[in-house]
Amino acid sequence: MNLGLDEYVHLDSPLHRWEPRCKLVGLMVLVFVFSFVQDLRLLPAMLAVTFTLYVVSRLPVSFLLTRLRAPGFFLLVVAILLPFFSGSTVLLRIGPLALRQEGCLDLLLVVAKFVSILTTGLVLFGTAPFLTTIKAMGALGLPSILSDMTLLSYRYLYEISDDLETMETAMALRGFRARRLNGRTLGVLASLAGSILVRSYEQSERVYKAMVLRGYGRSSRPRDDYQARSHDVIILGGVLILAAGFVVAEILLRGFGR
Amino acid sequence: MERQTQRPERSDSEEPALVVSGLFFSYPDKPDVLRDVSLEVLQGERVGLIGPNGAGKTTFFLLVCGILKPDAGEIRLFGRPMMYRDFYPEIGMVFQNPDDQLFCPSVRDDVAFGPQNLGLSKEETETRVTGALSMAGALKLADRPPHHLSRGEKRMVSIAGVLAMRPRLVIYDEPNANLDIRSRRCLIRFLQASKEATLIASHDLELILEVCSRVVLMDEGRIVANANPCELMGDAELMEAHGLEKPHSLVPHAEPHHRSEKRKACAKGA
Amino acid sequence: MHIPDGILPAAVSVAGYATAGAATWHSLRKINQKEDPRESIPKASLLTAAFFVASWIHIPVPPTSVHLVLNGLLGAVLGYYAFPAILIGLFFQAVMFQHGGLTTLGVNATMMGVPALLAYFVFRLRSVVGKESRVWTGVFGFLAGAGGLGISVLISLVLLITTVPPHLDVEAERASIYALTLAHVPLIALEGVFTALVALFLQRVRPELLED
Repeated sequence: MNLGLDEYVHLDSPLHRWEPRCKLVGLMVLVFVFSFVQDLRLLPAMLAVTFTLYVVSRLPVSFLLTRLRAPGFFLLVVAILLPFFSGSTVLLRIGPLALRQEGCLDLLLVVAKFVSILTTGLVLFGTAPFLTTIKAMGALGLPSILSDMTLLSYRYLYEISDDLETMETAMALRGFRARRLNGRTLGVLASLAGSILVRSYEQSERVYKAMVLRGYGRSSRPRDDYQARSHDVIILGGVLILAAGFVVAEILLRGFGR
Repeated sequence: MERQTQRPERSDSEEPALVVSGLFFSYPDKPDVLRDVSLEVLQGERVGLIGPNGAGKTTFFLLVCGILKPDAGEIRLFGRPMMYRDFYPEIGMVFQNPDDQLFCPSVRDDVAFGPQNLGLSKEETETRVTGALSMAGALKLADRPPHHLSRGEKRMVSIAGVLAMRPRLVIYDEPNANLDIRSRRCLIRFLQASKEATLIASHDLELILEVCSRVVLMDEGRIVANANPCELMGDAELMEAHGLEKPHSLVPHAEPHHRSEKRKACAKGA
Repeated sequence: MHIPDGILPAAVSVAGYATAGAATWHSLRKINQKEDPRESIPKASLLTAAFFVASWIHIPVPPTSVHLVLNGLLGAVLGYYAFPAILIGLFFQAVMFQHGGLTTLGVNATMMGVPALLAYFVFRLRSVVGKESRVWTGVFGFLAGAGGLGISVLISLVLLITTVPPHLDVEAERASIYALTLAHVPLIALEGVFTALVALFLQRVRPELLED
């Protein structure tokens, strides 16, 4: 199963070269600042920053487009609720429904923020190997039990998902088609899920033995050290100033009213 | 004060790598998995362990590594008694399924796991990792994630992970399960070149013939025979009585077509 | 179930991270108290991956199919590890599939993880009536599964409706919450049934997975 991670990490761009901890802090702050934006007048700036970031990262456009998939259930609900039920200024009537201005603008805001945050997130996680990012989090203070669990889960995700595929193929080859929702189908699928759990559990017992045999738990393992060079910090500073700019602008614009 | 000596003092280099005497073991739901098992492996010696599935080979290995606690009997590693649950870096075990042993997201990290747990410095760890990967012929795989490797590559990387601890006794549990012909040949060459004391459990009797200087036959938790490979595996009756077969290359051939000179000699004598 | 980026106000996202942080801290403390975490980390980690994969199984609900959330089952099997497991699972989803969200990771983790812990407590109650009984395992499995998802749905809907549209009037708000909750009832029931079936499977094949 191709989980599509680490596809473009080998490219070369300023973002690929940015030190992982600085990048994590800088881009996560930016992402939160984007979620803080409520004023429509800041949208062009937000989208411009996002666009620039993506271009600088040299990640291919196809990558972004495939990831900007059909919005989930919630976005759909919001896309229906907001334009038709939110606000009082009616733009046009379609039968019993009224398209409202405030709702449409709210929807525009939501979509712009969603796109900006998702794109920035792609840049953050797509320009360095997953492993490096997790280690950087550890260096920033993530408890070791969480980073150990994340790395172990990530490692076995591929094997376990291959297992699922193999079992589903085997079931299909013996004529099982999950078409109708009945007791038998549910029972079979529950056994499938249960089997995945049991097999992973049994493998974890063997993995634990292998870890113990190589000294697991004897001494705390060294944390990887990261060296942030001056230009990494300068770029971080720049990004933080930009983020602060958005926050200040948002607050000021709120003060002046809509 | 009276000093209890059970054996004359031997220097460390003369001690057998492994001495197992009178080992008994039962699982809570399976009694008598191992009955009165005694075995000796000398330093630098390569011993094969053969027998049908369920004979107790893997259980035996887990006992020898200190992961399980014997019900009775003694295990001595390089002359010193082994205590359950203590950590013995001088013994290493290569598991049947390399995925069970490759649990880090990159090959380099996985091979470094053991040395890091030993408390070695960064430089020393680096040296060990490079050395182990070179020995296993897997240096070019160092920065790959394990799930992108083929079975043969995973096998050699898992071996590197064990070698990085510099063990003096290495145990292999079915090392060539699921390997293709080329990877199997690569493994055989590697085993033939290894200097550590080695204990290999395998169903691949030809591999045992090529690699080991002694073979032990285990069935139903007991050691049934312990002899030179040609002798033991050449005894068709014995092999068949315990769910095995005489290896093809030991069957007398009108036209010799097997590689090893040693086996040709065996075949002539059989 | 997951709330994507861009919808919630920043204050709520930050509060979500705070609650998730607190719940994680509490879970980790409980884990460290109970047992040697080193031994249980490999188990919890591989099961986290397994649950993540298991949630990809398509359950046919004609004319379409759904993916189950399984947070109730996660709670029943992993206990206190359920919260870190859900946090990690959501992180994978956000980073690998852009499903869920980065700013909303905390909110989503709290919304799904806390009910998972509640499901754990509910499932544990079956020892009062008898662990070995298949009937009670099924019943408590159903309660854990349905409860786990049900509470998550409620929290997420309330959160969404109350924080999102600033111009929505109260009537419409209340009506939406009722309507959407009702729409989820069949799914909640399905989740309960499925959790019960998996719990029964585990009880037969590897009962220690359901133990504390």
